[in-house]
Amino acid sequence: MNNSADSSSEAEVSSEFPYLEDESVVAVQRGPEPGGLGGAYRAFGETLRGLKTTFARIVEGPVTIQYPEEKTPVYPRFRGRHKLHRFEDTGLEKCVGCSLCAAACPADCIRVVAAENDPEDRVSAGERYAEIYEINLARCIFCGYCEVACPFDAITMGHEYEIADYNRDDLIFTKEMLLAEPLERTPLRREGE
Amino acid sequence: MPDPPRITLLVDGVEVEAPHGAMLVDAAKHGDVEIPVFCYEPKLGHPVGACRMCVVEIEGIPKLQTACSTPVRDGMVVYTQTERVKEAQSAVVEFLLVNHPLDCPVCDKGGECPLQDVAMGWGPGRSRSVDPKRHFQKPIPLSPLIKIDRERCILCYRCVRFSQEVAEDEQLQLLERGSSTFVGTFDNRPYIAPFHGNIIELCPVGALTSDAYRFRARPWDIEDAGTVCTLCPSQCNIKLTVRDERIERVLARDNVDVDDGWLCDKGRFGYQMAESGQRITEPLIRAGGELRPAGWAEALEAAAAGLREAGERTAAIVGGSSSNEDGYLAQRIVRKALGSPHVESRPSGGPGVESRRTGGRGPAGFLRQGLVELSAPRLAASVSDLDRAESILVLGTDPLHSMPILDLRIRKAVRLRGARLAVATDRPSVLDGGAEETARYAPGFVGGFVSALAAELGAAGYERARGELGADAERIAGALKPGSTVIVWAGPDARGLVGCARALRLEEDGAGLIEVPEGANGRGLREVGCLPVAGPGLSDVEQGLDASGIRDALEAGSLEAALLVNADPIRDFAGGPAWGEALGKAKLVLAVSMFEDASTRQADVVFPAESYAEKEGTVTHPDGRLQRLRPGTPHPGGVRPMWEVLAELGALLGEETGVESAPDALAAIASEVPFYAGISHEEIGGTGIRWQERAAARYWPRVDDVGARDEVPGREVEPAGRTAPEPGDTGGRAEDVDGVIRVGTYRDLWAAEVTDRSPALRFLAPRQALELAPRDAARLGLGSGHEVEVRSNGTSVRARVSIHERVKPGSGFLIEGLGDRAASLRGELVEISKAGEPE
Ligand code: SF4
Ligand code: SF4
Ligand code: SF4
Ligand code: SF4
Ligand code: FES
Repeated sequence: MNNSADSSSEAEVSSEFPYLEDESVVAVQRGPEPGGLGGAYRAFGETLRGLKTTFARIVEGPVTIQYPEEKTPVYPRFRGRHKLHRFEDTGLEKCVGCSLCAAACPADCIRVVAAENDPEDRVSAGERYAEIYEINLARCIFCGYCEVACPFDAITMGHEYEIADYNRDDLIFTKEMLLAEPLERTPLRREGE
Repeated sequence: MPDPPRITLLVDGVEVEAPHGAMLVDAAKHGDVEIPVFCYEPKLGHPVGACRMCVVEIEGIPKLQTACSTPVRDGMVVYTQTERVKEAQSAVVEFLLVNHPLDCPVCDKGGECPLQDVAMGWGPGRSRSVDPKRHFQKPIPLSPLIKIDRERCILCYRCVRFSQEVAEDEQLQLLERGSSTFVGTFDNRPYIAPFHGNIIELCPVGALTSDAYRFRARPWDIEDAGTVCTLCPSQCNIKLTVRDERIERVLARDNVDVDDGWLCDKGRFGYQMAESGQRITEPLIRAGGELRPAGWAEALEAAAAGLREAGERTAAIVGGSSSNEDGYLAQRIVRKALGSPHVESRPSGGPGVESRRTGGRGPAGFLRQGLVELSAPRLAASVSDLDRAESILVLGTDPLHSMPILDLRIRKAVRLRGARLAVATDRPSVLDGGAEETARYAPGFVGGFVSALAAELGAAGYERARGELGADAERIAGALKPGSTVIVWAGPDARGLVGCARALRLEEDGAGLIEVPEGANGRGLREVGCLPVAGPGLSDVEQGLDASGIRDALEAGSLEAALLVNADPIRDFAGGPAWGEALGKAKLVLAVSMFEDASTRQADVVFPAESYAEKEGTVTHPDGRLQRLRPGTPHPGGVRPMWEVLAELGALLGEETGVESAPDALAAIASEVPFYAGISHEEIGGTGIRWQERAAARYWPRVDDVGARDEVPGREVEPAGRTAPEPGDTGGRAEDVDGVIRVGTYRDLWAAEVTDRSPALRFLAPRQALELAPRDAARLGLGSGHEVEVRSNGTSVRARVSIHERVKPGSGFLIEGLGDRAASLRGELVEISKAGEPE
């Protein structure tokens, strides 16, 4: 409420404005209004300074990207749609269904229902696996906490950002969808680009 | 008991007030100081100091002390945060983790694990261990319901202490020594015991996990819903773990006045019944011989039409799992809207009911008088009175089967305080081992025994018995301490109890009676009016027929409609299959049921019943504690609250109850039951309130107002078909007749619908067995496992012989509640013939 740094001036103001007492008026401090010469500089000088940049870039040519034919490359640490991973050697899912990602998720958009592995027909390496693993991407804020929480690096943020769909329900990604390789790979930005 | 004096001590420089004799861990909590523990669990009795997690520094004692086993003294100066303490605690954590697999992500305890919490709060935070850890085969079944992961075990002893000192089944042990120590049973046998599920909750790590709950949810996936288990009269306080609107597990919600924080396995795993996919979820109407789904309006209309037609030729049977509200509304419909007095809630009668002899037209005055006298507030003991009484008499029931949690409570009294336990039953009881005196009477002769006991105790008007009976009664009487005895009893013919109560001065503080009713809410139902002899508040009403009277009347056609509220008489009531015939004759059977069972097969209209997890209402504990049922999960499909359905049915029949919500229903009860006056959901709260402790208890009916005592006390009235025993007769005559045995019946803990409907429990479902004494078995040429036919008066039951050392010669025992006619044989002399060799 106290926007004034100077408490004595506030006291003065408050005597003029009885409203302040019930804290219904906010006193705003403004800088001094510039006079003639200063005003002219602000009107033209600053604008020209900005235009300098504009004109300097003209020679570089257009940078428009012809999306969707062409895609914006993303940085390697870009946080796009999640991926679930398998062990390369055994093919088993890395996820053990521990729900830690769900606990970490601030948007509460991960649902894990675990089940017990059948030693004869394993899904994951441990005792348990995720029978249901769903992320509601309509709610996800792409914070990456799930990735940080996962003790097995089973979930990581991928690079894919084309997630839009016609139907909210289709934004609930199941385990199978998250385990599958995306059809089109998002181009990565190279070093120094 | 007076509260112990309070003392002051200094904990970390803060003055803390605590009761004298409290352990330091608990005392410190009064000053908001948390001392980490693993093995300390007051529920398990004396502390053992096994884990050393709780060490603290106490001024004047050179070495660190375990706070869990050090009682506080006035002026004690304690430090819990010094370097020395921290170093020791962190060393304990480090040692515990040396062999701990740290597989939290796959461990079921993760997120609710004391080891995680303590390691985070007091541990070193970094492992220095590089050596390989100890390995066990894992996870392996410890029992059909529990898996054990021995690598995770921190050897805190809790589970072993539970088995050895609380349940006293003595099956769990620590085997081997040193770092190879592990928890197990002798010879690796499965740990099968009725309370063993408690160790899952006790284990401070994920070493013991519930097979049914394994990997179902994490603590952040679930909601806790507190309610009350209504699978038996213990009415334990429970917490349902609900995930995605499904119950995934049941935990104890500690209430010292009810359950001491324990549950039996029936209550712990029986939630599966509520989640069963076979439940009836919409009203059904019989059309062309088949039950077909119908809307509520149609079903209610059909039910109302049938009931209207039957009018006063209607009877209601209210099952034991019904709430007070269900029972109250059902009896109100039958009594007020239909004008019929036939309301019953007891599968085999209650105190002083003698249906068969008098065709249900017994002296109502005496029946009510017996009730009023024996359930009077001044004679009522509370469950926690068992913790104080100097002697305990268990009469006519085996609490393990009838009210399991009392079994633990009685054991506790004997073990921790040396209370003197006397057991007088027909069938050998599991409490015999800890009892100072035991007596066996012949099945059906409890009345004779109690009268003899009253005489031995010196009550006026009772005759001392001769012979064995007299000697038994004398021994039992000798073990009881007047003024400090709690009698836990069950059974219909216990008139002599009035005398015992007087002689033992049970009206004194800390003494009294606890009657174990047959149904889970038997007491509540009786107090809200579900008795043929008494209306709400045990008021005087026109007398109706009791259970077997109703059955006979249905059979004979003098009753035309039956309203079965949460009751399956074919399974649960004496007569069993005979009920099927009786219901078959009825013009209208309206069944409120969770499942299609034998009784709904006879029904014309079926209303789907709520499970206890969905119910809102109240129940009354056998010691008079009103408790609240709160809905933990939504009603599946078209299931509706029963109070609502019954209120609507009442309205259709012209009985406007004005009940529009569960609190309304309770208010309606409170306005009719004087000794519940003014009670509300708020007052009952989370832990319940005993009505005897409320001011309204003074409205309990006065014995003198209930009509003259028209029977001579001490004279036993036996149902027809049995001969009344002479004083001194133990019923042992059967021994002399070749091949004839007197049969008693008991309700096995697992002889219940919940066992069949819960996949986890199904392996426990009992088979009909005839328990015989070795002598009788030899005389009859029977061996264990033989198939026999048990017969009397045209009723026959098939059973398998099982021979028990402690069965009284001349007696035999069958299980009730298995859907056969066993309960009709209670107290009868039977013939036994061989029907097959052991398999
Ligand atoms: S990125 Fe963040 S919001 Fe999205 S699922 Fe992971 S934790 Fe939840
Ligand atoms: S993705 Fe990782 S954190 Fe989430 S459940 Fe699977 S293993 Fe656990
Ligand atoms: S199994 Fe659990 S309760 Fe039993 S000793 Fe081990 S850690 Fe303690
Ligand atoms: S003792 Fe009875 S009330 Fe308690 S959990 Fe078991 S069945 Fe439920
Ligand atoms: S808690 Fe005190 S020694 Fe275990």
